[in-house]
Amino acid sequence: MSWTIHHSKSEEYASQAEAALKQGNAERAAKLYQSAAKEEETALTKLDTSKVRTLGITTVSAASLWFKAHNLRQAEHVAFQWLATDFLPDFAVDQLQTILQSIWNEKIYQQAGIEFMKGEVLVSVGGGEVVPGGAPLHLILRKVDEVRNFFYRTIEMLLNLPFRKHGSPSSEIQEQFRPWLLQAPFGSYQFAVRVQKPTQMSLFPEDTPEVEEVTRKFLKIVEDAAKENHEDLKSTVPSPEYRETFLKLSRNLAPTGKSFNRLEIKSATDMEARPIVFSPTSRQTINKTLREIKRPPEEKMQLEEEQVRGVLRALHLDQDWLEISFPGTDRENIRIYQTGDVIDDLVGPMVNHRVIVDVGLRPDGKRLFRDIQSEE
Amino acid sequence: MTIQLLPLNDLAERHHGLTPALAESYLEAARVCLDWHHEPPQEFMLKNRASEQQVLVEWEPPDELCRGAWANKDDATRDGAYACALAATELSLGLLAVRRAETLTGADYYVAPIDRQTGDLENCLRLEVSGTSLDTYEVHRRLRTKVRQAKEGKSNLPALAIVVGFQVKLISIQSVEGTS
Repeated sequence: MSWTIHHSKSEEYASQAEAALKQGNAERAAKLYQSAAKEEETALTKLDTSKVRTLGITTVSAASLWFKAHNLRQAEHVAFQWLATDFLPDFAVDQLQTILQSIWNEKIYQQAGIEFMKGEVLVSVGGGEVVPGGAPLHLILRKVDEVRNFFYRTIEMLLNLPFRKHGSPSSEIQEQFRPWLLQAPFGSYQFAVRVQKPTQMSLFPEDTPEVEEVTRKFLKIVEDAAKENHEDLKSTVPSPEYRETFLKLSRNLAPTGKSFNRLEIKSATDMEARPIVFSPTSRQTINKTLREIKRPPEEKMQLEEEQVRGVLRALHLDQDWLEISFPGTDRENIRIYQTGDVIDDLVGPMVNHRVIVDVGLRPDGKRLFRDIQSEE
Repeated sequence: MTIQLLPLNDLAERHHGLTPALAESYLEAARVCLDWHHEPPQEFMLKNRASEQQVLVEWEPPDELCRGAWANKDDATRDGAYACALAATELSLGLLAVRRAETLTGADYYVAPIDRQTGDLENCLRLEVSGTSLDTYEVHRRLRTKVRQAKEGKSNLPALAIVVGFQVKLISIQSVEGTS
């Protein structure tokens, strides 16, 4: 039988596998991909090696099919076998090397017993103190922390959990949905984040389909939060409490222009997806949205409004205050009260960093909390 | 002048790289994507470097079951774009999908002229498809991205990049020559 017949059979099996995947039948899909891979490998043996382009396409196809059939050993074997020859065109060599990298990554995760949710988020920062491939550690640590908090909030919302005002996510959530920091391609300064699949997905039976989409939802929320018009965010995040928190988390991600001036978030798996770009003006946009959605408390009208810039030195949310210091000046620390609306995971990453706090100043000098944002 | 119809129906009868089931699935996705923005029939602009033409797009509105089955917007957009892209290359350039080959994240389709279909892939063009429900800017941006990716990669496969803008009623095609 010729290349054509075996390749056609492979196409047929692969199409059926794709249909099975769409129906959620991963087991049947893997079996069909295996049949497709076998046919494609047989097709390879029937090819005249002078048909360089056909050979290259078929080899990549065979290795990909074995990979999709979860037979990493065989996928690796096909790739090595043909890379060792001089028959393959450049594009096929390039693609097979990419497949090998994916195989090795997958093997490492499998050996460690790790399975990830769909999708991967790529975060890159640039400008200011950031240089290609390097950035101040404190800046990256904060961004990683903020992205992690954003993911946890997204997961809680997808699981329909009551809105969390204080403390960290429950230990169950932290244990079951572990965000991972992965190496990213060389860029301005980039890191990639994926969420590990819960080892006990059965704990969340009713929410399984939704929560599997956590990365996609995360990206949609970030995209909508960055928009001037917040109508889309309303439909993506119907709960007003979650919506306000996501807006504030997004504002924290945005640069002020001091230590960096651009932050991009995009899907690492969908190369065509438009990156979501945060610049210093994004903060103004989000602040405008926040002002629109939040009605001022009645007593606010009687208070003088003040903006305090300093370092968030202490936080005592149970006693309802936070403290700002002014390093390098003679000014004494001040306390700001009525922090009831402050959310732990919003202000946590700001401790010991420069912040801007909006306050209402009472005639007796007491400062009442309105809003807080990072100044770095 | 009569406007030509975009041949979305019975794709598998002409495009041998598609199975009937897959063609039906792509058509369903296209109906759902079109239904998000329009009521049938609609005129779409079909553009390539050499020409521009209006084409008529007719489809049967999807029922609730169909809409529910394609609730995942990304999947619907990707597969709906395949149906429209294949119909557009057939109508505009006389090219049909002859082969499918797997990639790590999906599949590539290879197209060839109706009268030059051979038993291998030596003379085929790779079809690079993208779909979007965003604006015209996004259609152009994606086309540029597709072309750039094809040029930057070590590809020596001539390709056709095609982007389907469901909302803005625009299908844009550009050829990308191989680099070696």
